[in-house]
Amino acid sequence: MNDAAPKLRAVGVTVRLGGAPVVDEAALDLRSGELVVLVGPNGAGKTTLVRALAGLLPAEGRVEIDGRPLSSLSARERARQIAYLPQGHIFHWPMPVAAVVALGRHAHADAFSSLSDADRAAVGRALSATATETFATRSVTTLSGGERARVALARALATEAAVLLADEPTVSLDPRHQLVVMGLLRDAARAGGAVLAVVHDLALAARFADRVAVMERGRIIVDAAPIEALSAARIAAAFGVEAVMVDTGDGPIPIARRPI
Amino acid sequence: MSSNNSSGLRLNLALAALIIALAVVSLMVGPAALSPRQALAGLFDGEGPAGIVVRDIRLPRTLLALLIGATFGLSGAALQGLLRNPLAEPALFGAPQAAAVGASFMIAYGLAGATSFAVPLAGIAGALLSIGGIVAIAGRRASLTVTLLAGLALASFAGAMTALILNLAPTPYAALEIAFWLLGSLEDRSVDHLLIAAPFLLASWLLLGLNAPAFRALTLGEDAAASLGVDIVRTRLMVVVGVAFGVGAAVAVAGSISFIGLIAPHLVRRAVGSDPARVCLPAALTGAVLLTAADIAVRLVPANPNATAIELKLGVVTALIGVPFFIAMIFRERRLLDGAAS
Repeated sequence: MNDAAPKLRAVGVTVRLGGAPVVDEAALDLRSGELVVLVGPNGAGKTTLVRALAGLLPAEGRVEIDGRPLSSLSARERARQIAYLPQGHIFHWPMPVAAVVALGRHAHADAFSSLSDADRAAVGRALSATATETFATRSVTTLSGGERARVALARALATEAAVLLADEPTVSLDPRHQLVVMGLLRDAARAGGAVLAVVHDLALAARFADRVAVMERGRIIVDAAPIEALSAARIAAAFGVEAVMVDTGDGPIPIARRPI
Repeated sequence: MSSNNSSGLRLNLALAALIIALAVVSLMVGPAALSPRQALAGLFDGEGPAGIVVRDIRLPRTLLALLIGATFGLSGAALQGLLRNPLAEPALFGAPQAAAVGASFMIAYGLAGATSFAVPLAGIAGALLSIGGIVAIAGRRASLTVTLLAGLALASFAGAMTALILNLAPTPYAALEIAFWLLGSLEDRSVDHLLIAAPFLLASWLLLGLNAPAFRALTLGEDAAASLGVDIVRTRLMVVVGVAFGVGAAVAVAGSISFIGLIAPHLVRRAVGSDPARVCLPAALTGAVLLTAADIAVRLVPANPNATAIELKLGVVTALIGVPFFIAMIFRERRLLDGAAS
């Protein structure tokens, strides 16, 4: 897409969980301004790869931020560089939305003092970007699934990290919220972020991604523009699904028709 | 959030005032009842019988009640924060049970009277051994489930060891002494007990308090908290060791006292909200209030009108109040636990 040096570069990343490699020599570049969507069948190793990129798993190979090895960063430095949004939008305690979003500033502030003006401003931007400020004082546990997804994303955005890794941010959301969340991720990329999202819906991937990486059995087998990465032939090979391409006016969108 | 801040401050100030009031009452109450004026005079000038009663007998007892109550309250808040589970409490890690083994052994084999130094030291050693055992069984990078299972196993083993010591006690008198000691009491505790326990209690406050911000981040789950810069393994280790120090020393000095760690955090959540970092301080203060109040109650309620000077045991009172509370809480959380709500 562009030739700028990648913000995050992963080369030869291998993760073994109990002997067998779950991620096998995976390579991926994320550039600022780009939304990359990672797709692949269940068990392909997408979540494990994302956690390795976030520095949450010991991995072989190299993961670099701005050319610096991820392992050379302290946990707090890493947290300021990489925002990670795990699956499931978990909130264990019924805390107010604003307090949850403020957790995004954990690695910025001295943890024992209250938020600085800069932290508060970042929280405000994240709340407003995700249109969650109207229920900022409500408890997260009283929200609907779509609202929770937006709050979880706001928490990650409040970090204002250069890299955003989102693991299945649209899962279990209604169609409108799927579009809203993907739009927010694309906005984050347009604002200069290097964004990676794991998505199962191939139509969403094709519509929103600048690039699509296809993962299969621990490897990135394709990393290309959506139209190339999500062709009917590729989809058949990677997912074992017959797909038809439908042109909606925004370019061809794959629709899965039946298992092969 | 600012309204939450001020309600938290108000609650902490109110609890601090309550602690001072209860401390004064605790200095007044006993076989020789003193007026507030006599108690304070005895405390500050130390003269006459009132001075001896207040300074040598009731002051150590009062301070121990406050420190131990606060330790249980803070331990409960810390474990609930670490485990993201409102039903967590110190006994989950086996520390109080292991402390009880060490202390019972000392009493049973006449190595010490129930009120001397060796008992608390053995209790603390027992709690530290239990933590060493957990780390050995579960491994350093252990998951929470493995750590909890290890705690459960050690707690059961410690219970069996205490039963064995009772079983093999050399004299019926020793068995009776252990049985009473296990019921929990602050009767006849001296300044020496206070000096032995206090360093461990304060160390535990430090270890637990330093992790309060991590508890808040953990509301997002361990992965998200780690991505925010929280060192999950270190946090878990500090909390487990902190609980072992605090609860080990507390149980070693005062015997088994249950449920304060479970109840205190719940009592304050309504006022300060569920933010696990914000719960820590008021939970500690509430623990101090509860245990001091219970210790005053056992001195006011005679256990048996026919027996002379036998107090109701502290652990009995906290359990009698704690168990119904625990059941009510399970009842209330049941729908959430079943996943029917939300």
